Amino acid sequence: MEMLQYALRKFITGIPLIIGVTLISFLLMVYFGPDKTYELIGKNATEEQIQEIRHQLGYDRPFVTRYIEYLKELATFDFGYSDSTGERVSSILERTIPISLALILPGFVLGNLLGIALALVAAYYRGHWLDKLIMGGSVIGMSISFLIVIIAFQIIFSSNYGLGWFPVRGWNVYDFWDYLRYVTVPTLATIFVALGYNTRFYRAVIVEEMGRDHVRTAKAFGTPPGELLFKHVLKNAMIPIITRIMFSIPLVVVSGSLLIESYFGIPGVGKVTYDAITTGDQPILKAVVGLTAVLFVLVLILNDIFYKLVDPRVSLK
Amino acid sequence: MSLRNTRLLFLLCLPLLLVACSDGPDTRGQKIYRPSLGGAPTSLDPVQSATVYANHVVVNVYDTLYAYKYLKRPYELKPNLAEGMPEVSEDGLTYIIRIQPDVHFIDDPAFPDGKGREVTAEDFVYSMKRHFDPKSRSQGNWLWAGKIRGMEEWKKAGADYAQEVEGLLALDRYTVQIRLTRPFPQLVHTLAQGFSAIVPHEAVDYYGREFSVHPVGSGPFRLQTFDSVRAVLVRNSGFRREPISLEFEGYDEAVHGKYGIAEIEGRIPPLVDRLEIHFIKESLSRWNSFTKGDEIQYATIPKELLDEVLAKKQPEVKLKPAYARRYFMSSGLENGFVHTDFNMKDPLIGYNEDKEREKRNHALRCAIRYAWDWAERNRTFYNDMGFVFPGIIPPVVPEYDPHASREALEHNPDKGRRLLEENGWTPENLPTLTLGGVASVDSRQMFEQFRGWLLRIGYPKEKINFDAYASFGDYNRAVKQAKIMIIGMGWGLDYPDAENTLQLFYGPNGSPGSNASNFNDPEYNRLYEKSSVMQPSLERTQIFRRMNEIVLDSCVTISGLSRKNIFLWHKDVVAFPDQSIVGGFYFRYVDVKEADR
Repeated sequence: MEMLQYALRKFITGIPLIIGVTLISFLLMVYFGPDKTYELIGKNATEEQIQEIRHQLGYDRPFVTRYIEYLKELATFDFGYSDSTGERVSSILERTIPISLALILPGFVLGNLLGIALALVAAYYRGHWLDKLIMGGSVIGMSISFLIVIIAFQIIFSSNYGLGWFPVRGWNVYDFWDYLRYVTVPTLATIFVALGYNTRFYRAVIVEEMGRDHVRTAKAFGTPPGELLFKHVLKNAMIPIITRIMFSIPLVVVSGSLLIESYFGIPGVGKVTYDAITTGDQPILKAVVGLTAVLFVLVLILNDIFYKLVDPRVSLK
Repeated sequence: MSLRNTRLLFLLCLPLLLVACSDGPDTRGQKIYRPSLGGAPTSLDPVQSATVYANHVVVNVYDTLYAYKYLKRPYELKPNLAEGMPEVSEDGLTYIIRIQPDVHFIDDPAFPDGKGREVTAEDFVYSMKRHFDPKSRSQGNWLWAGKIRGMEEWKKAGADYAQEVEGLLALDRYTVQIRLTRPFPQLVHTLAQGFSAIVPHEAVDYYGREFSVHPVGSGPFRLQTFDSVRAVLVRNSGFRREPISLEFEGYDEAVHGKYGIAEIEGRIPPLVDRLEIHFIKESLSRWNSFTKGDEIQYATIPKELLDEVLAKKQPEVKLKPAYARRYFMSSGLENGFVHTDFNMKDPLIGYNEDKEREKRNHALRCAIRYAWDWAERNRTFYNDMGFVFPGIIPPVVPEYDPHASREALEHNPDKGRRLLEENGWTPENLPTLTLGGVASVDSRQMFEQFRGWLLRIGYPKEKINFDAYASFGDYNRAVKQAKIMIIGMGWGLDYPDAENTLQLFYGPNGSPGSNASNFNDPEYNRLYEKSSVMQPSLERTQIFRRMNEIVLDSCVTISGLSRKNIFLWHKDVVAFPDQSIVGGFYFRYVDVKEADR
């Protein structure tokens, strides 16, 4: 009950955040975003046709009216039709978000789990060659552009110039085997890059935790390394780790991964969002921005609840 | 298993639950063709099929009255859904077109009882009217605007489909009558475009806005799935049976023999069961997929790999032996060209109330043209494979003059510098020039090259600027609002007739129309109006060439260059691809030697 009350309270306090985010982004879309009119007109349009399109897109209505409509759409989760394809925005998101989730989740989960594992090893052997090796690898992962990693992995694992084990492009996923074939290389590329950032961050958190008195006490007590790391260090370092993971989720769910989707020919939400940004498809942008803001608020609530679960000293009041 | 482990397993399997919801299509034993295109369509509604990409899908799921012969070059029209070529009245104002009976739309829930009904003349009338209904957001109505009698009045009266349009009637179930306000010799070409594809009103009503992603036509294929990366089309089993006559389609053993096309003679299109059209902007990814062997079967060569793949680029394109063994190739000039226009509405460089200044502006434009180095542009950005020609009549149309003076292409900075001096231009009084373009590495590099050339005629560096636009939409808006001083443009021909490029400089087509330069020359306009109603003839060609000279003499554009297209396809595919004029029409004639295993 306490938790439910807290969640409701927190959600209500999150509403100004949603309004702020949507207002600023809608302002940017309307006044600085691409003008969709000029994507939709024919080669030899007349001024009258331009005005007809502007009217249909609602560009000739006051900003306040349009913004209030946006809030109504967000409240009902009905964002109308894409200005580009004419398809219902909800249908587009229903079709693309699961694909992006299925694509990104393995890399996201493994990238974090492996990052934590490597960070534990690096922190435990701090200053040792193993630490330097892991940190060196992390710097490499962070330094190479994601685009280069994608192209290199595609050539190495998928193309005829390399091993050719996996498909270069596509998403013909109908069973588990298909799924593995299509998701492996994008996942490897995601992990390669994510590991660098994750390992460095988690190592810093864990190193800080390892310097605490209770860890020194446990060491002095002769606690085995595994128990020391997992029970005394990792458990107490969970708050920043949870924060990092939780705050990545809205981006993973809604934004997807544009580069991965483009280069591997995967029809996810990242590509749809990118196309909407570059062409000024406002119904899709409004949906993506609005849903991301709502998800952030939900994540904030869940984040606090998780804090409470891993650390009973945290109060939800 | 503990509850905790069960939860963990659920979480790990979540992605699979999300994706493994249905069985895949069983394609074993089917012939599948997997072409790729360098971009994606957004809408599959014929009235919005303005791009090459949309047309590739639209002309395969819908029928048009006419089409282009598969192999014939120069391009030649042929009847498609029409029974024959139109009967045209003596004055060129009335067209009678009979359509084939017993052609049906595909079965779809849009129809009562889900059964596709017969395509009739009324459907064509309805499909054309949609272009003038503001609700349809047509991108193709400019082709017929002001040309069909009564259409503008119909639109003004509220676009009520129950009301007849005087110039567009279904005389009976299978006969269409089009009455024009003035002769329009290119009409039949426009009836071979995706824009004029025939749609059933039931589907438009049933799907509403989403009709754009639920095509219901009578073409050789029907759409199965469509998203941002792929369109899957499957054979329309009810498609009419029309055996292929290669002779009729323009087969030439010397040109097409090596591609194995002879074996499709007498067969009934479509020849493959399934079309998977992949939309791939990323050229390297496209190439990797193409060379993989079991993925896409048709692509172009990324410019980064031209030297790696080609043994020879000019005058004839040749593959290196390793690639020639694995792939078929064809090459040819694009059906269009790139050019750079001056905005004549800008008094700093174009028309000016002060006639003396206007004269000096003319000299300034000509001097800039002398600074322009087409050979260097071709070498730097088009791998020295583009074809440079003087003016706005590109080499792919019959009206092109191979013997025309090439003076307008001359790169002569000294002459440019002299011209500036003779007309009183000094570094101090020269206007600041602004070249517009979509923000990209290529356009920035092109600008830097342009600036380098201008320095050679004495133009101060700080007076040459680049105006970058974030998206094509933004750039197009600035062009349509006549805000850009020097405009980098490209034009893809809608039909193989020079009228299509000459209209780009016709005064009344000025911004926001297609005349981006806002050129408005009385003699040019008069000649355009005279020639636009003429059937192709020697007289018309001479008028077209005269118009080309006027544009060149006015120094209103620096033009032009047609880029070279290179198409590659796998050797197990029997095809002769063409991306623009024939476009997607060729898919129905493609055969694949081996079925899916």
